[in-house]
Formats: sequence, C-alpha cells, structure tokens
Amino acid sequence: MDDSNKISRISFVKRPISLPPDYRPMFKVAQIVLILSYCCRSNRSSLLKLHLFSWALKSDLNGQKVTHWVQNNFQTDFSVWGIEPTLNRGIQYAIAEKIIRRVSNKYELADKGVLLLNSIKRDNDLLKTEKDFLNVIGKKITDDRITNLSKKWTLFYVKD
Amino acid sequence: MLKINAIKLEINTTNGLFGADLEFNDGLNIIRGDNSTGKSSMFQAILYGLGLEELLGSKNASTMQYVLRDHVNYDGNEFDVLQSFVFLEFTNGETTITTKRSVVCQGRLPQLIDVIEGAYLTQKGDYNIHPMWVHDAGGASNELYGFHLFLQELLGWQLPEVTNSKGEESRLYIQQIAPSFILEQKTGWSHFLATIPYYNIRNAEGKSIEFLLNLNVAENEKAKRYLNIQKQIINQKWQILFEQSKSLAHKGAAILNGLEPTPFIINDNKNISLSVINDDENISIIDFIEILKESYNELESYSLPNVGQNNDFNEKKLEALTQQYNQLSLQLDILSPEIALDKGQLKSYNQQLISISEDLRKNKDLLKLNKLGADIEMPIANSTCPLCKNTIDNSLLPDGIEETPMQLEENINYLEAQHKMIEVYIEGQKKYIQEKENQVRLMQDKSLEIRQNIRALKRELISDERLPSEVEIERRLSLRNKINFYIKLIDDFNNLKSDIIDLSKEWTILIGREKNLPSDFYSTEDRKKISDLESSFLYLLGKFNYSSQSGERIRISMDKYLPVVETKIGDDKIKQYDIKYDSSGSDFVRAIWAYTCALKRVSDTHDTNHPRLLMLDEPQQQSASINDFRTLLTELSGYKNCQVLVFASFNNSDEDYTNSTRGLQFSLNKIDGKIVKPQ
Repeated sequence: MDDSNKISRISFVKRPISLPPDYRPMFKVAQIVLILSYCCRSNRSSLLKLHLFSWALKSDLNGQKVTHWVQNNFQTDFSVWGIEPTLNRGIQYAIAEKIIRRVSNKYELADKGVLLLNSIKRDNDLLKTEKDFLNVIGKKITDDRITNLSKKWTLFYVKD
Repeated sequence: MLKINAIKLEINTTNGLFGADLEFNDGLNIIRGDNSTGKSSMFQAILYGLGLEELLGSKNASTMQYVLRDHVNYDGNEFDVLQSFVFLEFTNGETTITTKRSVVCQGRLPQLIDVIEGAYLTQKGDYNIHPMWVHDAGGASNELYGFHLFLQELLGWQLPEVTNSKGEESRLYIQQIAPSFILEQKTGWSHFLATIPYYNIRNAEGKSIEFLLNLNVAENEKAKRYLNIQKQIINQKWQILFEQSKSLAHKGAAILNGLEPTPFIINDNKNISLSVINDDENISIIDFIEILKESYNELESYSLPNVGQNNDFNEKKLEALTQQYNQLSLQLDILSPEIALDKGQLKSYNQQLISISEDLRKNKDLLKLNKLGADIEMPIANSTCPLCKNTIDNSLLPDGIEETPMQLEENINYLEAQHKMIEVYIEGQKKYIQEKENQVRLMQDKSLEIRQNIRALKRELISDERLPSEVEIERRLSLRNKINFYIKLIDDFNNLKSDIIDLSKEWTILIGREKNLPSDFYSTEDRKKISDLESSFLYLLGKFNYSSQSGERIRISMDKYLPVVETKIGDDKIKQYDIKYDSSGSDFVRAIWAYTCALKRVSDTHDTNHPRLLMLDEPQQQSASINDFRTLLTELSGYKNCQVLVFASFNNSDEDYTNSTRGLQFSLNKIDGKIVKPQ
C-alpha cells in the first residue's frame, strides 16, 4: 500500500453555529413586548397565551393556523401548539430586565417595557411581519378560548 | 458685445411731464450722485429696458422705484404718476436699437416692449417699430415676438440646453447670465452671482459661468448624454434581434452560437452561427444542409423502387427504426422523472431562499433591537446578564448544549453568504432544467418522426407489391421539405445577422466616440481658461488688498467656477468651502470686485461670450477704503473695448471723489439734485 496518501491525523476545529434569531434573548423579549401590547387586554397575559403567540410567530404555517382558527370563530380545532423552554428563558430575561413583571399568575408590561415598545413601534420597518400578524389577530383571543382549546386537547390525548 | 448708449425716462404726472436722461460712452463711465438723487432708479431702469429686471428680484413694473410707479417728489411736493416709460438705446457694435417699455400706462402691459430699430435717443428719426413680449411663456423661445430671444441674437448668444431639477431639458435664460456682469446694489454684493433667478435649474451658477467663458464642458456633457441615449437605443435594438435569433434557433431545434444579449464588438462574423446536433455531433447548420442534400441526392440517384423490390430493405429498416424508437422511448422515460426530480430540487432551493431571507430579515431587525435595547440600558442587548453582569452567550438554548452560537454580525454575514450561494444554485438548476427540457423536446420530435416512418413502412409492407414504394416517396418528400426549411431558416438568420453586424458597427463607433470624450468633460482650453480665471482673480485680490485668507489656499472650484478656500482634513482629503465664510465683510466685497474683473480679463485673451459690459451699482460697499476703491476704478478705467458703468455716491463727498478718480480716464455723469426733473 502506498503510504504517501495515508492520513495520519485529522483535527477538527469547533466553529460557532448559526443560531435562528428566535433563540436570541433580545428577539424573544421584543416578541413578548409586542404580544403583550398588541394582543392582550391591559398589556397582561397568561403564560399559555404567550406560548401560543410565540409559537404562532415561529413560522408562517403556525401563523396561518391561528389566523384560520380566529377567522372561523374558534370553531376549528388545531392540534397542539408548541410549548418551548426558550420562551420561558426569554420571560426570565424580560423579568430580570424589568421589561415585564409577574402579577399573580400573569405577566404584565412594566414601564421599561413600554419604553422598548415605543421605540420598536417608531420604526415602521422593524419587525414588520410580526407587527402585521399580531395586528390582524388583535385582542380577539381571550384566555378562556385558550383554556378551552387546551382542555379539548388534554381530553383528546387522554382518550388516546 | 453690448454697449448702452443712452437712457431716458418719461413720466407724466399731475404736474406735467417729468423726465431724466443719461448718455454713456465707451470705457469707464462714472455716474456720480449723492444718496437718493435717483442713481439707483436709473440703474434699475436700464435693467428694465433690457428686460432683465428679474435681477432685482421680481418681474415687471413692481421692480421699479416709486418715482416711475407712484409719485414724483419734486421741490417738496408729491405729484402722482399718470404714465411712465423707459427708453433705452443700446448696440451690439453693428446694430443699434432702442427699447421702449411702459411702467405705468393704461391699456398697455409692462410685458410689452417696443423695439425701435435705430438710435432713437441719440439720433432722432423715423424707425421701424416691432412690439415684442418679455417674460410671457414663449418670451424666450417665440421667434416672432420674444424679446429675450431677440436680445440673444443681438448679442450673438446661443444659450445652451441644460437639465432642470425635474430632469427635463430646458434652455438657460439670459437673466441667468446677466448677474455675472451686472451687479445691483441691494443683493448683488451679498454673494457671487447673487441675483440669478431660480428657474429649477441645477447649479445655475456653474452653467452660467460655463456659458460666459464658453467652456466646452457643457458640450462634452451633452455629448455624453447623447451617447448614453444612443447606447440605450442600440442596446434595445440588439436585445430584440437577439431574441429573434434565439426564437429562430428554437424553431429549427438549433443552437445559437457567438451572440450575447448585450451589444459587443463583433470581430469575426463567422463566430455567429447556428448549429445542430446530428449523430451526437455539433455541426454547423450549413454542413447539416449539405448532409441532408447529399442523402437526398443519393435517394434521387436510384429510380423509385416498387414495393416488392423494396421489401427486404423495408423490413431491415423497420427493425432498425423500431429499435431506435425503443431506445428513444427509454431515454425519454429516464429523462422525464429526472426533470421532475430537478424541479423538486429547484423548489426546495427556492424554499430555502425564502427561509434564509426571513432569517436574515429577523437578524437585521435584531441588530436594530439591540441598539434600541442599549438605548434604554438593557444589559442583554450587550450580551450581559441583567442579574450577575457576567457575559452571556446570547442564546436561549439550555446550558447543556455545548455549542457556541455565532455573534450576530457574524451570523448575518454567514446568512448573506448562504443567500448568495443558494441564488447561484437556483440559477444553475434553472439552466440545467432548461437544457434537459430542450433535449426532451428534440427527442420527442425525433420519436414522432420515427413513428411516422414506422407507420409508413408497415403500411407499405402490407400493400400491393407492384405499387411504387410509398415510403420512398415520403422519405424523399420529407427530406426535401427539411432541406427547404433549413435553407429558409439560414436565410432568415443571415438577415438578422447582417442587422446585428450593422448594429455592432454602430456600437463600435459609439464607444470609440465615448472614449474620445475627456474623462472629466474639461477640454484643454477649458482648463486654460479656468486657470487664467484663478490667476487673474488671485492677482486682483492682492491688488485690492484682500487680507482675510492667504492666496495659496484660494482656488476656483471646478463645479461652480466660484472662488473657494481649500483645507486639508486628514492626510489627503481636501475640503472646499465658500470663500465668504472666511472673509470679512469688506474683504468679501473685494473678492466680488476681483471675480467680476477676472471674468472680464479672461475674455481678453480667450474666446468667450462675455458681452464686454460691466454695470456696478455702488461698488464701494461695506466701507471698503477709498484707496482700494481707487484701485478698482484704475483697473476698470484700463478696460479698452469694454463699457463700464459705475454708479457711485463717493460717500457724498467731493474729497473722496477727487481722491479716488484723480488722473484716471473716464466719462462723468454728475447728478445734481434730483435726476427726475420737469421737462
């Protein structure tokens, strides 16, 4: 065998990975702020609702499902939405930053959050897709709707 | 040239006829009068008579002093004006004319100027009169009645077309040239060419000096614009021809060689050709026709066989064709799913492109968000933990994942690179699919042909043996058709080709001409003029005792041709700013003197459009010293073959007058009391 072509040693260099913006703290915090302002009464929301919207903003397909659900007067079912630990971490950052605060079981926009919200609103091009989507949904989804939906879904799975 | 011979005001008042006259000579004329004697009224009336009152800031009668419009003050009394006219006699050296224009006159608009064809004021007589219009739409372009056009012709001026701020071509106006040699008192001394009216023309100062000094730069610029338009036209024609050639090639299932969608110089006509794939070989269409002709001739050399005679041959042929057909079908069967696969791949590339674009958009938004966050002091915007102030890795992934995420900028660069790469993939994939589809089309055509042949052969094999072979007839016929088709095709193509070659020749000439234009539009003569303007200006600045700036830093700018001060910022960057900002008030007036005189000096040694007339109203502004004013008058009195009208009060002092004019050659018009007197 010809030894000259033999590879004696291979070394690997670990490179940083590309990270979707959804997994960046600042991006998540901005999303939370937008959700609280555009889609929640008194800028206050349950954890489950935040999860629903965070999931809906994740892809076009998810967004379409939610829009469809709202437009059909909440009659259609859509199967499970995702619960992501990243949102929970985002919420923790937001609380630590005093962007939102926890009031009993809900999360509420704090003063600093309003500051951030206003500066995001001022730039029309910034997070345009997100703003457009949240605007269309508006405050139509109440916590009751979400609880009902999630109840159906637990029953459904329990049966299975 | 332009020389003012005389001016006359005629004012009818409630107390009879009032009026004023002045006559002017060659060379320096000093019109001396104390303040408020009516000096400036006369100066302004000259502009009015020339239809140039826009230099005073407006149009028509409103620009004139009250003495022409409203009332005459005389001996402590006020008399209302009933009617007033301005008469102005001037000459271009050959033709002398007099204009008559009303300021106040019932039933007559101030836009109307009577042009009297003669020296009406200095040599009374009967002259022809032409009424003309000024300022009205068409005033500058209507050949019959436009006074400005008439004035241009009198001056021998061909005013250039310039681009206005709407991007349209528009003519430069005579009112825009005049401020370089007529300086009126109110705003004329506030800046260089301060009284240029604004007609939506970009860089009117530059354009007006370009014209005054007759620089070629405007022509070169225009030539360049013209060339660009021509290039665009050729480009469009070329594209049409290219598309036609392409569709022609498509029709004949041929490949188009040696042509690009954009124009270029064609050196060898032979490179542009059509070729076809024959037996897996790329041959020119002319060779292909030869091959077809050969096989046709071969067929023709046999007499038409009977069916019976041909049976053996037909059977073999049928076998061969069937085999060929099966092979083709097989290849087609392989290719079609391949294409479907490739299209699927293309679709997935497109999806990837969309998702990368979306990611990019989000990342760029994130960059903005981080900035907003930092503005309201959010530690996470700077990758710092809000609680422990340690650096965090800027990700929401759980701690257990031992991957370092990219930094945001790095991430954006990475995604942009990916974006480009996918775009390249997509382009390649599209081309690849196109090629395969072409191939399929060719094969389908071929298999159709074979099928027809097979059918004919089969029909013949079962028909009467004594009949002439139908297949043979068909074969000859179709071969002949094919030959005719390709001959026609090559004919059409040659026509297109000769059009393209002609176009390419035009293109060659065009880019040759483009190369010949100076790269920055200035001709050698232009540079000479500008450098002469600069040196004359600097020389005169020194003479007039300008002291705010050292001369080494003063230049004439190449865009507006106005004096600027140059400073170095950084190592080699040069910044130019207006000389006004670094000059004291009186020094700036000296700079305007010097610039106005320098323009005249350049026209002594170069071919320019300067009218050889200077009109200065009260040049001793901003308490410039008597000495320097004397230097100015000395300079002006030295101007031969040029008329200079200086309207000045000499600070209402005989001593100042004597000191500043002693020993100089000039004609004096002294105004005592009010110039407008009863006639």
